[in-house]
Amino acid sequence: MNNYKLIHKLIVKLTTSLILSLLAINVIAKDYLIKNATVHTASEVGVLNSTDVLISDGFIMELGKNLSGNSNVEVIDAKGQHLTPGLINANTQMGLVEISAASSTVDHTTEQEGVGASFNIAPAINFRSTLIPQNRINGLTRAIVVPGFGNSIFAGSSSAIALLSDMTGMISENIAQHVLYGVSGAEFNGGSRAAAHMALDKALEDANYLRHNRRRFEPGFESHFSLSIADLDALKPVLERKIPLIINVHRSDSIIRMIALAKKHNIKIVLQGASEAWVVSNEIARANVPVIIDPISNLPNSFSSLSSRIDAASILHNAGVKMVFTGMQSTHNGYLVRQSAGNAVSHGLPAEEALKAMTINTAEVFGIKNYGQIKVGMEADVVIWDGDPMEVTTNAEQVFIKGQKQPMVSRATRLRDRFWDLNDNKNKAYVK
Amino acid sequence: MHRGVLPLPLKKHLRFFFLLFLMTSLIACQSDDASKADQQKQSQAFPSTYISAPSKAFVIEHATVLTGTGIEYRDASVLVENGLIKAVGNNFFIPADVERIDGSGKWVTPGIIDVHSHMGVYSSPGIESTQDGNEMTAPVTAEVWAEHSVWTQDPAMPLALAGGVTTFQVLPGSGNLIGGRGVTLKNVNAKNVQAMKFPDAPHSLKMACGENPKRVYGNKGRAPSTRMGNVAGYRMAWIKAEEYLAKWDKYTESLGSKKELDKPARDLQLDTLAEVLRGNILVHNHCYRAEEMMVMIDIAKEFGYKISAFHHAIEAYKIADVLAKENICSAVWADWWGFKHEAFDHVRENAAMVHNAKACAIIHSDSAIGIQHLNQETAKAMAAGNKNGLSIEVKDAIAWITSNAAKAIGVGDKTGSLKENMMADIVIWSHNPLSVYAKAEKVFIDGVLTYDRYDSEFQPVSDFDLGIIDPEGVRL
Repeated sequence: MNNYKLIHKLIVKLTTSLILSLLAINVIAKDYLIKNATVHTASEVGVLNSTDVLISDGFIMELGKNLSGNSNVEVIDAKGQHLTPGLINANTQMGLVEISAASSTVDHTTEQEGVGASFNIAPAINFRSTLIPQNRINGLTRAIVVPGFGNSIFAGSSSAIALLSDMTGMISENIAQHVLYGVSGAEFNGGSRAAAHMALDKALEDANYLRHNRRRFEPGFESHFSLSIADLDALKPVLERKIPLIINVHRSDSIIRMIALAKKHNIKIVLQGASEAWVVSNEIARANVPVIIDPISNLPNSFSSLSSRIDAASILHNAGVKMVFTGMQSTHNGYLVRQSAGNAVSHGLPAEEALKAMTINTAEVFGIKNYGQIKVGMEADVVIWDGDPMEVTTNAEQVFIKGQKQPMVSRATRLRDRFWDLNDNKNKAYVK
Repeated sequence: MHRGVLPLPLKKHLRFFFLLFLMTSLIACQSDDASKADQQKQSQAFPSTYISAPSKAFVIEHATVLTGTGIEYRDASVLVENGLIKAVGNNFFIPADVERIDGSGKWVTPGIIDVHSHMGVYSSPGIESTQDGNEMTAPVTAEVWAEHSVWTQDPAMPLALAGGVTTFQVLPGSGNLIGGRGVTLKNVNAKNVQAMKFPDAPHSLKMACGENPKRVYGNKGRAPSTRMGNVAGYRMAWIKAEEYLAKWDKYTESLGSKKELDKPARDLQLDTLAEVLRGNILVHNHCYRAEEMMVMIDIAKEFGYKISAFHHAIEAYKIADVLAKENICSAVWADWWGFKHEAFDHVRENAAMVHNAKACAIIHSDSAIGIQHLNQETAKAMAAGNKNGLSIEVKDAIAWITSNAAKAIGVGDKTGSLKENMMADIVIWSHNPLSVYAKAEKVFIDGVLTYDRYDSEFQPVSDFDLGIIDPEGVRL
């Protein structure tokens, strides 16, 4: 290669990176000053009346009264409106499913033998999914993306995403490991909870042995473990307490068993589903174990959840349990975590606690940095609501993710607009 | 909860004697009415034995009253006597001896109605034996009746009552083209389904479009496996029903004449379909897509029946003008979408857009969780429309789960609105019902206090709930 070519290549490279960096600046450089909002901070300072929030370079730069921004700041008057951190749903399959009954669009579960704990769904997350804008315009700005259960009691590891329509939405992968215990977990283990318990205990034991004797089991060696080497390797960060083990469990006695198992293996666990958690709320609080619940889910769906009740969140809170919320129905309506939270409030949970359970608590449990509060230095995931954020008649007015003002448009709003005026609908199928 | 037995309200006595008279006179009648007697025999099968408990006269005062018919009264009263609504409004005479309930700060609505429930046929807890809602052994099973699957002790029923639900229609599932008869029940604790059956409510016929039947039967390697196969399936069924109906009509005509025909053999499946063609059974059609709804409307015209409501009508907003013209209700969800391809074109404004086109909008649940919060689902659907520029008021939107729902299941002249002589199915709410903070505080069915949030004596407990966790307690 001659010098000329080398220099040319260098110039192209430099120009490209310059353009890219300029583009990047253009994307995040715009500042927004939101004035006079009722700010629900989800932090120790609680709710601030008539307060301004300055968003700059993707972050919350200032929080206070009578703020002013630089000359190119876009000012948004939010008088009479409410402002919260963007919400997060702790149990979704966002980006892993487009149409549940169209198998070619579903990537959340594998039936592959020997792939359980080692299943990492991150590469399959589709940021151009229509579910992302539909949830985004309804106030959900982040999601925990969780694998489904295939042939193993371990589903695999989850990811955290921001609800952006490109891969900048990827935040972190391998943030937690998921396991199924109890009514369905038993199905993978000879039809008995006791067998499921044994399998989980053995898996953790084997993983721990492997962790300390890894060299003996290089590829080519025959393993005599309860799970594949890859699955046991995947449990290493759980045993090192780097990520939590999320246990899907409902029955109160099973919950106690799981707390004991966590103690035995010295791992961090989180209870998910946990219909009967309120029954043993003091034990859960003592063990410092967070729970992921859908507060609206009060049906005795199974014999493992006979004690389900609508005010469980309030009972858990009073016992000092850290709560993280998910919502009813499917990932498609992941934003309904807000309605579930509203019902928890309606049944006794303080509104600020409900907000934390779909913002900062989730961030803490899943190790997501710089998100979950309206606080200087946090990434600016912000929602302006046209009313009480817990109320079902309230809608999102404007959504920001990482400081970017989001278009309040989804495929659904496009369809709505196309058919809004049926008299003016002639040949609409052929125009935008 | 029924306590003690006291004389029935006069009206109910009369109805009972009238039916008795009808039955005996039909039996006595030999010729012209013989066929009618056969029809009567069908409709008298498994008759409702629901009898409301005796109720004292009472008045709810100083409440905000939503009648379900588009009227909102402030600081108003609702007077109930003999299980019926006697007066509603601001200005009427209240007898001195009636019990007075202070409704200050409260809101009053008709009892909430769910037109799409599977309580009792897909009961909680969901186990092998509770899968009773879908006879997926043939694509047309018009012969099955949902009421014969109903487990009256489904613990979801009292939960729905706490959400203000006084009436619900139990439908068979959607795995079949024609899934069978649905039944309308009063949300009362009873030992048998007959004692829950809404008096004189028509049966319904559950039909299903689209993906479910074609998937279920396509996977079995038989018809239908396509949407066009679905349509052929409906039409073949209706052709048989027409023939059956004609056979019976001819037989009826021949009675008393010189050439009296032999009585046709009874066919349980065609009995149901013929009753639809006679206009005695209302069609409730699970149908998502605009295309399929339009095809179903044409099938109804071809065979001369009427579709009462499209259920899960995800794309109703696309054809709301047609649905208004055809007088077909759209029973929809506020948010559900995307679980199937046919549920992909959901808009949150669906109910509001249907309403705005002056068509009949209904919010339904299809869920034992959703049924507990139909007020919230309605609130979301209303707010979504208003956010985009409509101005639907609470007094109008409440019709989506009261009067419109009642109309669709053929009981609009009995319940679903607070008007004189309607059944006193009433909810007293703590707040504006279209709010997450609203709780049903008192629920009356036929004037009987059936649920009271603050009095455990009036919180029904199903047999299942009894001693299920704590031998000495109840589930909740």
